[in-house]
Amino acid sequence: MKVKDVLIRDISAVFEDETIENFVRMCSMQSLSGLPVVDENMVVVGYISENDVINAAIPSYFSLLQSVSFLPDTHQLVQRLQKIKNDEVSKYMNTPAVTVKEDDTLIHVADLIIRRRLKSVPVVDDQGRLVGVVTRMSVLKGAMEKGV
Amino acid sequence: MRVATVTLNPALDRQLIVSNFEVNQLHRLSGPESSIITPGGKGINVAMLLDVLEIPVVAMGILAGYTGRILEEELRRLHPRITTNFVYTSGETRENITIVDPIKDTITEINSSGPEVDEKTLGIFLKRYIMTLSRVNTVVISGSVPPGVDSGYCLDLVSRAKHAGKTVVMEGIGRFFEETIRNVCPHVVRPDLRRTQTIFGRSLDTLDDYIKLARDFLDFGAEAVVISYHIVSDVVATKEGVWLFTSREKVEKSHLLGTGDAFVAGIVYGIDKGLNYFDALRYGMAAAIAETKHVEKSALSISEIEKHLDAFEVEKKA
Repeated sequence: MKVKDVLIRDISAVFEDETIENFVRMCSMQSLSGLPVVDENMVVVGYISENDVINAAIPSYFSLLQSVSFLPDTHQLVQRLQKIKNDEVSKYMNTPAVTVKEDDTLIHVADLIIRRRLKSVPVVDDQGRLVGVVTRMSVLKGAMEKGV
Repeated sequence: MRVATVTLNPALDRQLIVSNFEVNQLHRLSGPESSIITPGGKGINVAMLLDVLEIPVVAMGILAGYTGRILEEELRRLHPRITTNFVYTSGETRENITIVDPIKDTITEINSSGPEVDEKTLGIFLKRYIMTLSRVNTVVISGSVPPGVDSGYCLDLVSRAKHAGKTVVMEGIGRFFEETIRNVCPHVVRPDLRRTQTIFGRSLDTLDDYIKLARDFLDFGAEAVVISYHIVSDVVATKEGVWLFTSREKVEKSHLLGTGDAFVAGIVYGIDKGLNYFDALRYGMAAAIAETKHVEKSALSISEIEKHLDAFEVEKKA
Protein backbone atom coordinates (compact mmCIF):
# COMPACT_ATOMS: atom_id res chain seq x y z
CA MET A 1 0.00 0.00 0.00
CA LYS A 2 1.26 3.46 -0.93
CA VAL A 3 0.97 6.95 0.57
CA LYS A 4 -1.31 7.95 -2.34
CA ASP A 5 -3.88 5.38 -1.12
CA VAL A 6 -4.36 7.24 2.18
CA LEU A 7 -3.47 10.74 1.04
CA ILE A 8 -5.77 13.58 2.06
CA ARG A 9 -5.57 16.03 -0.83
CA ASP A 10 -5.69 19.13 1.35
CA ILE A 11 -3.10 21.83 0.74
CA SER A 12 -3.95 24.04 3.72
CA ALA A 13 -0.66 25.62 4.73
CA VAL A 14 0.91 28.72 6.26
CA PHE A 15 3.59 30.97 4.86
CA GLU A 16 6.87 31.66 6.69
CA ASP A 17 6.02 35.33 7.21
CA GLU A 18 2.57 34.73 8.70
CA THR A 19 2.12 35.25 12.41
CA ILE A 20 1.78 32.68 15.15
CA GLU A 21 -1.62 34.22 15.90
CA ASN A 22 -2.74 33.44 12.33
CA PHE A 23 -1.41 29.91 12.62
CA VAL A 24 -3.29 29.28 15.89
CA ARG A 25 -6.44 30.81 14.41
CA MET A 26 -6.27 28.57 11.35
CA CYS A 27 -5.58 25.42 13.35
CA SER A 28 -8.39 26.08 15.82
CA MET A 29 -10.92 26.86 13.08
CA GLN A 30 -9.99 23.81 11.01
CA SER A 31 -9.42 21.48 13.98
CA LEU A 32 -5.83 20.83 12.91
CA SER A 33 -2.80 20.09 15.08
CA GLY A 34 -0.25 21.59 12.71
CA LEU A 35 0.35 22.88 9.20
CA PRO A 36 3.02 22.62 6.52
CA VAL A 37 4.91 25.87 5.91
CA VAL A 38 5.25 26.70 2.21
CA ASP A 39 6.90 29.32 0.02
CA GLU A 40 5.15 31.22 -2.79
CA ASN A 41 5.64 28.25 -5.15
CA MET A 42 3.93 25.93 -2.68
CA VAL A 43 7.26 24.21 -1.90
CA VAL A 44 7.25 22.84 1.66
CA VAL A 45 9.96 24.62 3.64
CA GLY A 46 8.97 23.54 7.14
CA TYR A 47 6.26 22.31 9.46
CA ILE A 48 4.76 23.94 12.52
CA SER A 49 2.62 22.20 15.10
CA GLU A 50 0.67 23.22 18.19
CA ASN A 51 3.50 21.61 20.20
CA ASP A 52 6.01 24.03 18.71
CA VAL A 53 3.89 26.96 19.90
CA ILE A 54 3.40 25.45 23.36
CA ASN A 55 7.13 24.79 23.64
CA ALA A 56 7.84 28.37 22.60
CA ALA A 57 5.42 29.67 25.22
CA ILE A 58 6.72 27.74 28.21
CA PRO A 59 10.19 28.19 29.71
CA SER A 60 12.69 25.73 28.19
CA TYR A 61 13.43 23.92 31.45
CA PHE A 62 9.84 22.67 31.59
CA SER A 63 10.39 20.59 28.51
CA LEU A 64 13.31 19.00 30.33
CA LEU A 65 11.12 18.28 33.34
CA GLN A 66 8.48 16.86 30.99
CA SER A 67 5.76 18.37 33.16
CA VAL A 68 4.04 21.70 33.46
CA SER A 69 2.99 20.97 37.03
CA PHE A 70 6.06 22.98 38.05
CA LEU A 71 4.74 26.12 36.39
CA PRO A 72 4.41 28.74 39.14
CA ASP A 73 1.30 30.18 37.51
CA THR A 74 -0.45 29.97 34.16
CA HIS A 75 -0.26 33.75 33.87
CA GLN A 76 3.36 33.26 32.80
CA LEU A 77 2.22 31.04 29.91
CA VAL A 78 -0.42 33.57 28.83
CA GLN A 79 2.13 36.39 28.97
CA ARG A 80 4.57 34.44 26.81
CA LEU A 81 1.85 33.60 24.29
CA GLN A 82 1.00 37.30 24.05
CA LYS A 83 4.67 37.99 23.46
CA ILE A 84 5.09 35.52 20.61
CA LYS A 85 1.73 35.89 18.86
CA ASN A 86 3.04 38.46 16.40
CA ASP A 87 6.24 36.54 15.70
CA GLU A 88 6.62 34.95 12.30
CA VAL A 89 5.95 31.25 11.83
CA SER A 90 9.50 30.83 10.47
CA LYS A 91 10.87 31.45 14.00
CA TYR A 92 9.27 28.35 15.48
CA MET A 93 8.76 25.98 12.54
CA ASN A 94 10.68 22.73 12.18
CA THR A 95 12.90 22.80 9.17
CA PRO A 96 13.51 20.92 6.99
CA ALA A 97 10.07 19.36 7.28
CA VAL A 98 9.68 15.61 7.31
CA THR A 99 7.90 14.89 4.02
CA VAL A 100 6.93 11.85 2.00
CA LYS A 101 6.00 11.27 -1.64
CA GLU A 102 2.84 9.74 -3.08
CA ASP A 103 4.67 6.58 -4.14
CA ASP A 104 6.33 5.97 -0.76
CA THR A 105 5.08 2.91 1.09
CA LEU A 106 2.59 3.15 3.92
CA ILE A 107 5.00 1.30 6.18
CA HIS A 108 7.58 4.05 5.58
CA VAL A 109 5.21 6.84 6.63
CA ALA A 110 3.93 4.75 9.57
CA ASP A 111 7.54 4.33 10.72
CA LEU A 112 8.14 8.10 10.50
CA ILE A 113 4.96 8.88 12.41
CA ILE A 114 5.90 6.51 15.23
CA ARG A 115 9.62 7.28 15.39
CA ARG A 116 9.33 11.06 15.07
CA ARG A 117 6.05 11.28 17.03
CA LEU A 118 4.31 13.09 14.19
CA LYS A 119 0.58 13.65 13.94
CA SER A 120 0.61 14.60 10.29
CA VAL A 121 3.15 14.38 7.46
CA PRO A 122 3.09 16.63 4.35
CA VAL A 123 3.12 14.83 1.01
CA VAL A 124 5.09 16.50 -1.78
CA ASP A 125 5.66 16.01 -5.51
CA ASP A 126 9.06 15.69 -7.21
CA GLN A 127 9.58 19.46 -7.00
CA GLY A 128 8.88 19.44 -3.26
CA ARG A 129 5.47 21.11 -3.75
CA LEU A 130 2.69 20.30 -1.33
CA VAL A 131 0.05 17.90 -2.70
CA GLY A 132 -1.62 16.88 0.57
CA VAL A 133 -1.06 15.30 3.96
CA VAL A 134 -1.23 11.93 5.65
CA THR A 135 -2.39 11.87 9.24
CA ARG A 136 -2.08 9.23 11.94
CA MET A 137 -5.75 8.46 11.46
CA SER A 138 -5.56 8.19 7.66
CA VAL A 139 -2.66 5.71 8.04
CA LEU A 140 -4.51 3.73 10.72
CA LYS A 141 -7.71 3.67 8.67
CA GLY A 142 -5.86 2.65 5.51
CA ALA A 143 -3.90 -0.07 7.30
CA MET A 144 -7.03 -1.43 8.96
CA GLU A 145 -9.08 -1.50 5.77
CA LYS A 146 -6.46 -2.60 3.26
CA GLY A 147 -3.34 -3.68 5.19
CA VAL A 148 0.13 -2.15 4.86
CA MET B 1 -4.27 20.29 -10.59
CA ARG B 2 -5.30 21.92 -13.84
CA VAL B 3 -8.36 23.86 -12.73
CA ALA B 4 -9.01 25.93 -9.61
CA THR B 5 -12.57 26.67 -8.58
CA VAL B 6 -13.24 29.60 -6.28
CA THR B 7 -16.38 29.56 -4.15
CA LEU B 8 -16.40 32.55 -1.83
CA ASN B 9 -19.76 31.61 -0.37
CA PRO B 10 -20.08 27.81 -0.30
CA ALA B 11 -23.13 26.09 1.12
CA LEU B 12 -24.09 22.78 2.56
CA ASP B 13 -26.90 21.76 0.24
CA ARG B 14 -29.79 19.84 1.70
CA GLN B 15 -32.02 18.43 -1.02
CA LEU B 16 -35.39 17.08 0.09
CA ILE B 17 -37.49 15.09 -2.36
CA VAL B 18 -41.12 15.60 -1.35
CA SER B 19 -44.02 14.46 -3.52
CA ASN B 20 -46.99 16.83 -3.60
CA PHE B 21 -45.21 19.47 -1.54
CA GLU B 22 -47.46 22.13 -0.08
CA VAL B 23 -46.66 25.02 2.25
CA ASN B 24 -48.27 24.95 5.68
CA GLN B 25 -48.50 21.14 5.62
CA LEU B 26 -46.62 18.37 7.46
CA HIS B 27 -44.61 16.18 5.11
CA ARG B 28 -42.75 12.98 5.94
CA LEU B 29 -39.78 11.89 3.86
CA SER B 30 -40.09 8.40 2.42
CA GLY B 31 -36.53 7.31 3.33
CA PRO B 32 -32.89 8.38 3.60
CA GLU B 33 -32.67 8.68 -0.19
CA SER B 34 -35.23 11.51 0.02
CA SER B 35 -32.88 13.67 2.07
CA ILE B 36 -29.48 14.25 0.52
CA ILE B 37 -26.76 16.43 2.02
CA THR B 38 -24.01 17.48 -0.37
CA PRO B 39 -21.31 20.11 -0.52
CA GLY B 40 -22.56 23.03 -2.57
CA GLY B 41 -22.07 26.50 -3.87
CA LYS B 42 -21.59 26.98 -7.61
CA GLY B 43 -17.80 26.65 -7.67
CA ILE B 44 -17.83 23.51 -5.54
CA ASN B 45 -20.52 21.98 -7.76
CA VAL B 46 -18.34 22.67 -10.79
CA ALA B 47 -15.33 21.13 -8.99
CA MET B 48 -17.30 17.95 -8.25
CA LEU B 49 -18.45 17.68 -11.87
CA LEU B 50 -14.92 18.23 -13.17
CA ASP B 51 -13.66 15.53 -10.83
CA VAL B 52 -16.23 13.11 -12.28
CA LEU B 53 -14.95 14.14 -15.73
CA GLU B 54 -11.43 13.26 -14.53
CA ILE B 55 -10.04 16.81 -14.61
CA PRO B 56 -7.64 17.39 -11.68
CA VAL B 57 -9.14 20.26 -9.72
CA VAL B 58 -8.45 22.26 -6.59
CA ALA B 59 -11.50 23.61 -4.75
CA MET B 60 -10.84 26.89 -2.96
CA GLY B 61 -13.12 29.11 -0.94
CA ILE B 62 -14.08 30.46 2.45
CA LEU B 63 -15.74 28.16 4.97
CA ALA B 64 -16.90 28.72 8.52
CA GLY B 65 -17.69 26.77 11.65
CA TYR B 66 -19.16 23.33 12.11
CA THR B 67 -21.16 23.43 8.84
CA GLY B 68 -17.99 24.36 6.97
CA ARG B 69 -16.10 21.40 8.42
CA ILE B 70 -18.96 19.02 7.51
CA LEU B 71 -18.95 20.43 3.98
CA GLU B 72 -15.20 19.89 3.63
CA GLU B 73 -15.37 16.37 5.08
CA GLU B 74 -18.24 15.43 2.76
CA LEU B 75 -16.42 16.86 -0.23
CA ARG B 76 -13.39 14.74 0.66
CA ARG B 77 -15.50 11.63 1.24
CA LEU B 78 -17.43 11.98 -2.03
CA HIS B 79 -14.53 13.22 -4.15
CA PRO B 80 -11.20 12.17 -2.62
CA ARG B 81 -9.34 13.21 -5.79
CA ILE B 82 -10.34 16.87 -5.39
CA THR B 83 -7.59 18.92 -3.77
CA THR B 84 -8.97 21.27 -1.13
CA ASN B 85 -7.57 24.63 -0.10
CA PHE B 86 -10.14 26.40 2.06
CA VAL B 87 -9.71 29.29 4.44
CA TYR B 88 -11.94 29.50 7.51
CA THR B 89 -13.69 32.50 9.00
CA SER B 90 -15.89 33.04 12.07
CA GLY B 91 -19.57 32.14 12.02
CA GLU B 92 -21.19 29.30 10.10
CA THR B 93 -21.20 28.34 6.42
CA ARG B 94 -24.70 28.72 5.03
CA GLU B 95 -27.12 25.90 4.34
CA ASN B 96 -29.20 25.86 1.17
CA ILE B 97 -32.43 23.92 1.28
CA THR B 98 -34.03 22.67 -1.94
CA ILE B 99 -37.38 20.93 -1.99
CA VAL B 100 -37.88 18.95 -5.17
CA ASP B 101 -41.39 17.80 -5.98
CA PRO B 102 -41.24 15.26 -8.83
CA ILE B 103 -45.06 14.98 -9.02
CA LYS B 104 -45.88 18.67 -9.31
CA ASP B 105 -42.61 19.29 -11.17
CA THR B 106 -41.50 22.13 -8.88
CA ILE B 107 -38.31 23.19 -7.15
CA THR B 108 -38.51 25.36 -4.01
CA GLU B 109 -35.20 26.81 -2.87
CA ILE B 110 -34.33 28.56 0.39
CA ASN B 111 -30.80 29.98 0.40
CA SER B 112 -29.18 31.76 3.31
CA SER B 113 -26.66 34.55 2.96
CA GLY B 114 -23.50 33.15 4.56
CA PRO B 115 -21.08 34.36 7.22
CA GLU B 116 -19.61 37.85 7.35
CA VAL B 117 -16.02 37.57 6.12
CA ASP B 118 -13.47 39.82 7.82
CA GLU B 119 -10.56 41.51 6.07
CA LYS B 120 -7.95 39.29 7.70
CA THR B 121 -9.57 36.16 6.22
CA LEU B 122 -9.78 37.81 2.80
CA GLY B 123 -6.06 38.61 3.01
CA ILE B 124 -5.21 35.02 3.97
CA PHE B 125 -7.36 33.68 1.13
CA LEU B 126 -5.79 36.03 -1.44
CA LYS B 127 -2.28 34.79 -0.57
CA ARG B 128 -3.33 31.17 -1.06
CA TYR B 129 -5.14 32.03 -4.26
CA ILE B 130 -2.03 33.67 -5.72
CA MET B 131 0.05 30.64 -4.73
CA THR B 132 -2.45 28.27 -6.36
CA LEU B 133 -2.53 30.24 -9.62
CA SER B 134 0.98 29.03 -10.40
CA ARG B 135 -0.28 25.44 -10.49
CA VAL B 136 -3.40 25.67 -12.72
CA ASN B 137 -4.41 26.63 -16.27
CA THR B 138 -8.03 27.61 -15.69
CA VAL B 139 -9.78 29.43 -12.87
CA VAL B 140 -13.54 29.22 -12.29
CA ILE B 141 -14.99 31.95 -10.06
CA SER B 142 -18.60 31.17 -9.48
CA GLY B 143 -21.52 31.97 -7.23
CA SER B 144 -22.52 34.66 -4.79
CA VAL B 145 -20.27 36.65 -2.49
CA PRO B 146 -20.71 36.58 1.28
CA PRO B 147 -21.31 39.71 3.37
CA GLY B 148 -18.09 41.64 3.92
CA VAL B 149 -16.68 41.02 0.44
CA ASP B 150 -16.77 44.08 -1.78
CA SER B 151 -16.88 44.06 -5.58
CA GLY B 152 -13.24 45.08 -5.80
CA TYR B 153 -12.21 41.76 -4.28
CA CYS B 154 -13.66 39.65 -7.12
CA LEU B 155 -12.26 42.06 -9.61
CA ASP B 156 -8.83 41.57 -8.04
CA LEU B 157 -9.15 37.76 -8.21
CA VAL B 158 -10.04 37.87 -11.91
CA SER B 159 -7.39 40.46 -12.67
CA ARG B 160 -4.61 38.44 -10.99
CA ALA B 161 -5.61 35.26 -12.81
CA LYS B 162 -5.72 37.03 -16.17
CA HIS B 163 -2.33 38.64 -15.59
CA ALA B 164 -0.95 35.22 -14.70
CA GLY B 165 -2.09 34.02 -18.14
CA LYS B 166 -4.92 31.79 -16.90
CA THR B 167 -8.25 31.27 -18.60
CA VAL B 168 -10.93 32.71 -16.35
CA VAL B 169 -14.52 31.52 -16.27
CA MET B 170 -17.02 33.48 -14.20
CA GLU B 171 -20.63 32.99 -13.24
CA GLY B 172 -22.49 35.36 -10.98
CA ILE B 173 -24.99 38.17 -10.74
CA GLY B 174 -25.14 41.53 -9.00
CA ARG B 175 -22.92 44.53 -8.54
CA PHE B 176 -19.69 42.59 -7.99
CA PHE B 177 -20.29 40.63 -11.20
CA GLU B 178 -21.13 43.70 -13.29
CA GLU B 179 -18.13 45.65 -11.99
CA THR B 180 -15.80 42.76 -12.77
CA ILE B 181 -17.22 42.43 -16.29
CA ARG B 182 -16.85 46.16 -16.92
CA ASN B 183 -13.26 46.32 -15.69
CA VAL B 184 -11.50 42.99 -16.26
CA CYS B 185 -13.95 40.85 -18.22
CA PRO B 186 -13.18 37.12 -17.78
CA HIS B 187 -12.75 34.89 -20.86
CA VAL B 188 -16.00 33.00 -20.31
CA VAL B 189 -19.05 34.70 -18.80
CA ARG B 190 -22.36 33.28 -17.62
CA PRO B 191 -24.77 35.53 -15.72
CA ASP B 192 -26.81 33.69 -13.11
CA LEU B 193 -30.38 34.67 -14.05
CA ARG B 194 -32.25 32.36 -11.66
CA ARG B 195 -33.50 35.13 -9.40
CA THR B 196 -33.45 38.18 -11.62
CA GLN B 197 -33.59 38.98 -15.31
CA THR B 198 -32.15 42.43 -14.77
CA ILE B 199 -28.50 43.12 -15.52
CA PHE B 200 -26.58 46.36 -16.17
CA GLY B 201 -29.83 48.11 -15.21
CA ARG B 202 -31.71 46.53 -18.12
CA SER B 203 -34.53 44.04 -18.00
CA LEU B 204 -34.24 40.99 -20.26
CA ASP B 205 -37.58 40.35 -21.96
CA THR B 206 -37.22 39.49 -25.64
CA LEU B 207 -34.69 37.28 -27.42
CA ASP B 208 -33.16 40.46 -28.85
CA ASP B 209 -32.46 41.70 -25.30
CA TYR B 210 -30.51 38.49 -24.63
CA ILE B 211 -28.59 38.76 -27.91
CA LYS B 212 -27.73 42.39 -27.16
CA LEU B 213 -26.49 41.40 -23.69
CA ALA B 214 -24.33 38.66 -25.20
CA ARG B 215 -22.79 41.22 -27.56
CA ASP B 216 -22.19 43.61 -24.67
CA PHE B 217 -20.21 40.90 -22.86
CA LEU B 218 -18.13 40.38 -26.02
CA ASP B 219 -17.54 44.13 -26.25
CA PHE B 220 -16.29 44.13 -22.65
CA GLY B 221 -13.75 41.49 -23.72
CA ALA B 222 -15.36 38.08 -23.19
CA GLU B 223 -14.36 35.27 -25.55
CA ALA B 224 -17.42 33.14 -24.85
CA VAL B 225 -20.80 33.95 -23.36
CA VAL B 226 -23.70 31.80 -22.16
CA ILE B 227 -27.06 33.23 -21.15
CA SER B 228 -29.83 30.92 -20.07
CA TYR B 229 -33.00 31.60 -22.08
CA HIS B 230 -36.45 30.18 -21.29
CA ILE B 231 -35.33 26.93 -19.59
CA VAL B 232 -34.67 24.80 -22.70
CA SER B 233 -32.54 27.34 -24.57
CA ASP B 234 -29.30 29.21 -24.12
CA VAL B 235 -28.02 32.21 -26.02
CA VAL B 236 -24.32 31.59 -26.61
CA ALA B 237 -21.79 33.88 -28.23
CA THR B 238 -18.18 34.00 -29.33
CA LYS B 239 -16.28 36.52 -31.45
CA GLU B 240 -17.63 34.59 -34.47
CA GLY B 241 -21.29 35.17 -33.74
CA VAL B 242 -24.33 34.62 -31.55
CA TRP B 243 -26.32 31.38 -31.52
CA LEU B 244 -29.39 29.95 -29.87
CA PHE B 245 -28.95 26.43 -28.52
CA THR B 246 -32.29 24.73 -27.92
CA SER B 247 -32.77 21.31 -26.39
CA ARG B 248 -34.70 18.96 -28.68
CA GLU B 249 -36.32 17.32 -25.68
CA LYS B 250 -38.69 18.76 -23.11
CA VAL B 251 -36.86 19.34 -19.85
CA GLU B 252 -38.56 18.52 -16.54
CA LYS B 253 -38.34 21.56 -14.29
CA SER B 254 -37.56 19.37 -11.26
CA HIS B 255 -34.51 18.08 -13.15
CA LEU B 256 -33.04 21.55 -13.70
CA LEU B 257 -31.05 21.51 -10.47
CA GLY B 258 -27.36 21.84 -11.22
CA THR B 259 -27.72 22.29 -14.97
CA GLY B 260 -26.07 25.72 -14.90
CA ASP B 261 -23.08 24.26 -13.07
CA ALA B 262 -22.99 21.36 -15.53
CA PHE B 263 -22.92 23.89 -18.38
CA VAL B 264 -19.91 25.61 -16.84
CA ALA B 265 -18.19 22.27 -16.12
CA GLY B 266 -18.78 21.19 -19.74
CA ILE B 267 -17.20 24.41 -21.05
CA VAL B 268 -14.19 24.01 -18.75
CA TYR B 269 -13.85 20.39 -19.84
CA GLY B 270 -13.83 21.53 -23.47
CA ILE B 271 -11.27 24.28 -22.81
CA ASP B 272 -9.10 21.83 -20.87
CA LYS B 273 -9.19 19.46 -23.86
CA GLY B 274 -8.02 22.27 -26.15
CA LEU B 275 -11.30 22.84 -27.99
CA ASN B 276 -12.15 26.26 -29.44
CA TYR B 277 -14.68 28.35 -27.51
CA PHE B 278 -17.65 27.42 -29.72
CA ASP B 279 -17.01 23.69 -29.35
CA ALA B 280 -16.42 24.17 -25.62
CA LEU B 281 -19.86 25.86 -25.47
CA ARG B 282 -21.35 22.83 -27.26
CA TYR B 283 -19.83 20.59 -24.58
CA GLY B 284 -21.38 22.88 -21.99
CA MET B 285 -24.84 22.57 -23.51
CA ALA B 286 -24.47 18.79 -23.86
CA ALA B 287 -23.39 18.53 -20.22
CA ALA B 288 -26.37 20.64 -19.11
CA ILE B 289 -28.82 18.43 -21.05
CA ALA B 290 -27.13 15.27 -19.75
CA GLU B 291 -27.46 16.63 -16.20
CA THR B 292 -31.25 17.00 -16.65
CA LYS B 293 -31.48 13.19 -16.86
CA HIS B 294 -30.61 13.06 -13.17
CA VAL B 295 -32.59 14.43 -10.25
CA GLU B 296 -29.47 14.46 -8.08
CA LYS B 297 -26.60 16.78 -8.96
CA SER B 298 -23.03 15.98 -10.06
CA ALA B 299 -23.85 12.69 -11.75
CA LEU B 300 -22.30 12.97 -15.19
CA SER B 301 -19.85 11.09 -17.37
CA ILE B 302 -17.83 12.00 -20.44
CA SER B 303 -19.73 9.46 -22.56
CA GLU B 304 -23.06 10.90 -21.39
CA ILE B 305 -21.96 14.39 -22.41
CA GLU B 306 -20.72 13.25 -25.79
CA LYS B 307 -23.97 11.33 -26.35
CA HIS B 308 -25.82 14.65 -25.98
CA LEU B 309 -23.67 16.73 -28.34
CA ASP B 310 -26.48 16.50 -30.93
CA ALA B 311 -29.36 16.69 -28.47
CA PHE B 312 -29.92 20.36 -29.23
CA GLU B 313 -30.56 22.59 -32.19
CA VAL B 314 -28.01 25.23 -33.11
CA GLU B 315 -29.43 28.33 -34.73
CA LYS B 316 -27.20 31.26 -35.69
CA LYS B 317 -28.80 34.55 -34.65
CA ALA B 318 -26.18 37.12 -35.44
